[in-house]
Amino acid sequence: MDLFPLALSLQVALTATAFTLLLGIPLAWLLARRRFPGRDLLEAVVVLPLILPPTVLGYYLLLIIGARGPVGRALAAVGVELAFTWRAAVVAACVGSIALLIKAAQAGFETVDQRLEQAARTLGRSEWSVFWSVTLPLAWRAVLAGTVLAFCRALGEFGITLMVAGSIPGRTQTLPLAIYDRVQANQMGEANALALIAIALVALLVFGVSRLARLRF
Amino acid sequence: MLALAVTKRLPGFTLAVEWRAAEPVVALFGPSGAGKTLTLQCLSGLLRPDSGRIVLNERVFFDGAAGVNLPPPARRLGYVFQGYALFPHLTVAENIAFGLKGLPRGRRLERTAAVIDRLGLGGLERRYPRELSGGQQQRVALGRALAVDPDLLLLDEPLSALDAPLRRQLREELGHTLREWGKAAVLVTHDLEEAYQLADRIVVYESGRVLQAAPKSELLWQPTSAEVARLIGIRNLLHGTVVKATPEIVQLEWRGQTLEAVNSPSRSFLPRPGTGLTFFVRPEYARLIRKDRSGPDPGRHMNMMEGEIVSELDQGTTWLLFFRLSAPGPPSQGTYDLEIEVPKLVYEILEIDRDRHWQLSVHRGSIQVLPA
Repeated sequence: MDLFPLALSLQVALTATAFTLLLGIPLAWLLARRRFPGRDLLEAVVVLPLILPPTVLGYYLLLIIGARGPVGRALAAVGVELAFTWRAAVVAACVGSIALLIKAAQAGFETVDQRLEQAARTLGRSEWSVFWSVTLPLAWRAVLAGTVLAFCRALGEFGITLMVAGSIPGRTQTLPLAIYDRVQANQMGEANALALIAIALVALLVFGVSRLARLRF
Repeated sequence: MLALAVTKRLPGFTLAVEWRAAEPVVALFGPSGAGKTLTLQCLSGLLRPDSGRIVLNERVFFDGAAGVNLPPPARRLGYVFQGYALFPHLTVAENIAFGLKGLPRGRRLERTAAVIDRLGLGGLERRYPRELSGGQQQRVALGRALAVDPDLLLLDEPLSALDAPLRRQLREELGHTLREWGKAAVLVTHDLEEAYQLADRIVVYESGRVLQAAPKSELLWQPTSAEVARLIGIRNLLHGTVVKATPEIVQLEWRGQTLEAVNSPSRSFLPRPGTGLTFFVRPEYARLIRKDRSGPDPGRHMNMMEGEIVSELDQGTTWLLFFRLSAPGPPSQGTYDLEIEVPKLVYEILEIDRDRHWQLSVHRGSIQVLPA
C-alpha cells in the first residue's frame, strides 16, 4: 500500500500548524486584549473559514494564489510555484484550521485576569515580557487545545486543498484526497486502511495530549 | 512630596481630582465608585489621564500640556492590587523576584531572600499563592512590590479581602511594615478607621471629586462640609440658626435651646445672626448629669438640655441612647434629637435601663460648626 498520502498529510499539517501558531497567536491576543477600529470586522473575518463552503474558499484562494493571481504572480517572479504544489496544500490547511486556534486561544487569553498583566507592567515588564511570563503561561492549556484541534483539522482538510492543490498522486494527494480517490476507483480495501490510519492518528493525538496536559476540549 | 491633578472622562463617570501631600502616607477615602482606584491607576501609569499633572518629588510622571507620560516601569512604584493579583503560576519566591528581572542572578536571589526574611515568609518560598492564607498572600503582595525598592507604594484596599479579626491584626502589621521600610504610600480604602490608623493625610473622594484633603485629625474634627461629615460617619448632624458669632464662639439656636460652640480660630467663621448653620455633636461627648451628686454646676456644665431616652441599642461594649428633648416641637432626627453613646459601665452605674429622664450637657468645645 502506498503510504505517501500519509507522509504528505503529516508534513502539510505540521507545517500548516506552525504557520497557524505564528499568525494565529498574535491575532488571538489582539482580539482578546486590544480595542481598535475594525476589530469587530476582524473577528467576523476570522470565523469565515469555519462557515463558508470549502469550495468557495478554495475558489477565491485559487484566484489569489493561482498563476494569474496577485500572490501567484509575485511568487512566480521570485521563482516559487505555489498553486497545485504541496505548499498550496499548506496554505489550504492554514486557512481551514486557523479559526479553531484563534477562537480557542482568544478565549484562553480572555480568562487571564488583566490585573495580573497590570501587576507585571508595574513591576517593570514590557508588553512582550508580560505576554511570555504571565498571559501565555496562564492560557497555555487553551492554546494547546486550540493547536491540537487546528492540527487535526489541517490533517483532514479536503475541499480547499482540492481546489488549490488538486489531487495529484505522489505530489499533492493528501490522506483525505487519497481516500476519496480510492473510493472512486472502487479500491475499498485501501480506502478502508487509509481511513483507519486517519482515525487512529487523530484519536491518538487528541487523547494523548488531553491525557498528558489534562486538557478539556 | 506628591502632587496630583488629573481629569479622566469615562463613559458614565468623570474623574476630576486635585490634591497634594507632603506626608509619607496618604489615604484616599470614600465610597466605592468614587474614583479612588482610578486615581491609583493614573498615578501608576496604567491609565492615561485626559489632562493634568502628576509629580512625585520633582519627578514628572504625567504632564498633559507638555505631553509627558512615563510608562509604568519608569515610574518606580510598587502597586499592591486589590485582591493582591499574585501570579498563580509562580511560587512565593518567583512572585517576589518578578520585578527583579534586570538584576544579575546572584543579586536577584540575594534580594529575594532578604525580602522573604524581612516579611517573615521564610519556609514558604516554594508554595503557590493558592496554598497561602489571606495574611500570607498580603505579605507576598507587599514583598513583590517592595522588592523593587519603589519610591512610592500604591495600596488598593489592602485589607478588604480579609475577615474582621485578621484584618485588625494585619492593619497593625501593615502600618509597622510601612514605617519600618520607610516607604511613602498612597492607600485606597473605604474604611475610615483603616485610613485613620495607617495614614497621615486623608483625601475624601466622592463621585469623582475631592471633597476635602486634610491631615487626619483635622479631617475628623473639622470636616469642611456636611457631605464630608456624612461620609466620615459623623452622627448628630444638626441644623440651627445663628444668634451671635464672634471669632471665639458661635451662639446658635436649635430646638428652642441656645447652644454655645467654640468658633474654630483657624477659620474665623463669622456668619450673620439669623442665618442657618450646620453643626454636629459627637455622641460620645454628650454628658449625662448624675442625679446622686449635687445639682448641676453652671460653671462646669454648659449647653444644658433636658429630655427622655426614647430608645436604645446595645452595641456590646457601649450603649447607644436616643435622646428626645422635652422642648415642644418635632424632634430633629425623626423620633429623637440626639444620639448619645455611653460605655456599658456608665450605663450600669447610672441604671439607665430603669431611669429614662435625664439632663445632659455638652461642652462648647464638643459642638462643631460647619462653614456653610
